[in-house]
Amino acid sequence: MSAPALTPVARPVAAAEVLSIRGLRKTYAERTVLEGVDLGVAAGELVALLGANGSGKSTVLKCVVGLAQADGGTVSIAGADERPGAAMVFQQIHLVRRRSVLDNVCAGALGRLSLRRSWSTSAFPRALREESMACLDRVGLADRAHDRAGRLSGGQQQRVAIARALCQRAPVLLADEPVSALDPEAAEQVMELLRRLADDGIAVAAVLHQPDLARRHADRLVGLQQGRIVFSGSPEEIAEDEVRALYTTGGAR
Amino acid sequence: MTATLATAPEQPVERLPVPPRPRRTAGLAGAAVLVLVLVGVHVWAWIATDFSIGALVEGWSGITDFLGDAIPPDLDWAEVVQPGLKACGVTLAIGLMGTTLSIPTSLVLAVLGARPTSRNPVAYQVARAVMSFFRAVPDIVFALIFVTAVGLGPFAGVLAIICHNTGIMAKLWSESMEEIETGPIDALRIAGASSPQLAAHVVLPSVVPQLVGLLLYRFDVNVRSSLVLGLVGAGGIGFLINQSISLFAFDQMLTYILMVLVLVVVVDVASGYVRRRLAE
Repeated sequence: MSAPALTPVARPVAAAEVLSIRGLRKTYAERTVLEGVDLGVAAGELVALLGANGSGKSTVLKCVVGLAQADGGTVSIAGADERPGAAMVFQQIHLVRRRSVLDNVCAGALGRLSLRRSWSTSAFPRALREESMACLDRVGLADRAHDRAGRLSGGQQQRVAIARALCQRAPVLLADEPVSALDPEAAEQVMELLRRLADDGIAVAAVLHQPDLARRHADRLVGLQQGRIVFSGSPEEIAEDEVRALYTTGGAR
Repeated sequence: MTATLATAPEQPVERLPVPPRPRRTAGLAGAAVLVLVLVGVHVWAWIATDFSIGALVEGWSGITDFLGDAIPPDLDWAEVVQPGLKACGVTLAIGLMGTTLSIPTSLVLAVLGARPTSRNPVAYQVARAVMSFFRAVPDIVFALIFVTAVGLGPFAGVLAIICHNTGIMAKLWSESMEEIETGPIDALRIAGASSPQLAAHVVLPSVVPQLVGLLLYRFDVNVRSSLVLGLVGAGGIGFLINQSISLFAFDQMLTYILMVLVLVVVVDVASGYVRRRLAE
């Protein structure tokens, strides 16, 4: 921002991986979805996963958080042996729409609260509410804390979902098509937010269907085709044609 | 800009022949068998219930005599109307107490017996079995049991409604809990939330309007069934109806039935109004 740096410092990519996926395999019934995916995401890195429908992008994320069970390979998250190490946001956002924005964000912390401190929203510790307010402030929605979540626009709801993920205190943030349901303006805001969170040191992996957004915001583009990674590199390293080929050649099956 | 609008050139209407629907002879044969089975079942039911239009025609005079005795209704204030109003209050109170006191038991059973909140298969199956039992035993049977335990009167009616309503309301509530979208549950399960936490922070807040709507509907039904419970001795207006029939005081009976009509309509309209407001 306003740091008077004399020499440009490259962003420290390829630092220690926080999320590392090795040889991930997944088969649904007879169909092989992932055929040995290796992917590492470092702290401070925003990785965009690109690929046609059915290429296995979302399945990678689901295997990381346990929404799908991998058939082989390993997923490890540094410093998260017991606590859930990854938070996730979705295209469909998945907030509890009848609850307030603040209560939704507080719910991100449920995993570390005893039932006595979490049986109702009134039992949430004061410290948690204040932490949630700080999370809301990071996504720019502190002034909407007491609104019903369902009253917010799609883009705002997605930012609340990101605040909820932050409240989970996970070192890894996964985003499954976070902007596919949003208008261009809201999509841009959400991508800028993900970029900022990565700069703050979170390892971010986002499945995207918008190569241009991915190019502008991500540190690295990873292309998946038929369950395999076909390219991985910085936006400068990956040619437009390579990205386009994901959606035209081969196809999903 | 001139104000005249250009008339769009008329588009030629195209038509295409509709391809014939594939004939499925197996489907037709199946439908024929189904119709035969349905007709057969109804013939059996006709015989099993001694269904006889002749008997109704022959017995018609009995009904007219009965109605003749009942009209005009006995509107004596001190003897009939005042006790009737009081009994209507008791009937309403039985329905109210029975419904309200079955809320906690229904809620526990519903949470344990709904897939999104019940991960333990044993708890789920047990909750489902308990619900089925209380639903299967009619409230009138519960009333007969409780009358032998606590004696004749409204208290037995309340206990009976609590039992039967717990089974039904728990079932209805668990079904609305199973209909919520599972996305928010996945999102918080990723965050490490336990099943009780998911119940408290996703499922219940999402279904509150449905639960209240069903609660009011059950109140409506329970007031009506507390009438029937009165017939077996659980007090209220049903008890007075039963009494007037056994005393052949059909004009009093008619008064009570008219009161029941008003009571049922009032409860129905009131709960319908609240439910509509909730749905908005």
